[in-house]
Amino acid sequence: MVTGDRQVPASLLSAVRRDLRPVRPLAAPLRRALALLPIGLALLVGVPAVWGWRANFSALGLAAAWGLSGAQTLAGLLIVGAALREAVPGRELSARYIAATLGAAAALFVGSTLVTYQLAPVVQPSVWVRGAWECFWMEAVSSLPVFAATVWLASRALPSRPALAGAIHGLGAGLMTEAGVRLFCRVSTPAHVLLSHGGAILLLGVAGALIATLVEKWKARKH
Amino acid sequence: MRDREPPRDRDGELVRLMIAYQAGGLDAFTQLYAELAGELRRYFAAIVDSGAVQDLMQDTFLEIHRSRRTYLPPLPVVPWVFGIARNVLGRHRRAAWRRRRSEERAIAPGDEKRWSTGPPPPPSMALDACDFDAALRRLPAGRRRVWMLRHIHGLSFQEIGDRLRIGAAAAKLRSSRAMKTLRMALAGAPDPASGCPPAKRAGEDR
Repeated sequence: MVTGDRQVPASLLSAVRRDLRPVRPLAAPLRRALALLPIGLALLVGVPAVWGWRANFSALGLAAAWGLSGAQTLAGLLIVGAALREAVPGRELSARYIAATLGAAAALFVGSTLVTYQLAPVVQPSVWVRGAWECFWMEAVSSLPVFAATVWLASRALPSRPALAGAIHGLGAGLMTEAGVRLFCRVSTPAHVLLSHGGAILLLGVAGALIATLVEKWKARKH
Repeated sequence: MRDREPPRDRDGELVRLMIAYQAGGLDAFTQLYAELAGELRRYFAAIVDSGAVQDLMQDTFLEIHRSRRTYLPPLPVVPWVFGIARNVLGRHRRAAWRRRRSEERAIAPGDEKRWSTGPPPPPSMALDACDFDAALRRLPAGRRRVWMLRHIHGLSFQEIGDRLRIGAAAAKLRSSRAMKTLRMALAGAPDPASGCPPAKRAGEDR
């Protein structure tokens, strides 16, 4: 029995022999996430540059405008790095790690929203409702480049929990996009930012979970 | 002496083999197989029925081969391998669940009757059919399904693979193992649990 266990079956050996080209190991998850830094910076500057800078930008000051957006970009990259780690077999994240990462990201998002509201309040009645739909789709569409890049990175690994890995990817991509969108959107009412912008981030999380699951199913069928 | 080596040395050896395997070394793969197959077999045997263990082993090593670039040296190899094994096991369970569901819906009532309640066969064949029915029922569900699709429905291995979402080679392997098991079952002693009388050998009716 032991001998049989140690001997490679002929069919497996021939399958391995057929495709034995040298492969380069994937880089560490954080290094791969850092490869998205140019896209993150492009979103940070590109979104407001394309859609227009918020009217009350100067009221925010350097730290609340660029500082908080920069922190959101960095947090988004770290979250993508965590998702890339989750996608490597045997390196799955613990529930505590996931809760801490996502909790910190949520705290940063809510904190930024409240600070922005304090520094540059826009309290026109019902304006946040009118702009909600617009911001929701603008954020979702703007995130497509970074979202596509994270999906591509995720598809190269082999997540045991594809839905979880994809959801974390999507949330990271969403936070990176929010860093730029908050420099465009002049409505600082927390209800608007949390529902509209936050809703878009959640949508990306759901889309990430769905796409990662489909990609894994497709890979399983392919083989 | 090798058994007395501390685990850390074994980890180092596995890492070295894995790096050589990623560089294209077939010998490294065969050594990795020799090192890890026993542990994987015990892992699967503790979770699934024995009929599926070999298939899962093969699928796991194929997945290890396809995903070998996702191993990040010099991290320990064993957690990576078992991460892949869990992934393969998850796929296997999902596929088994889907298969059970589709079997319940897709197999026409006529197929069931063919093996259990069809018109009575001639006396000379009655015992063999009963034995065969019991032997077929004893096969693991995955193999029985492949065997029936191949030998009753007449599908090609490629068609079976597409239908069950497995490779054509895996379908062929399962069919071949099912056939081997059936032959052994029919050639051997009758199973008292089947409720069938003892099988008659060819020529006994004469």
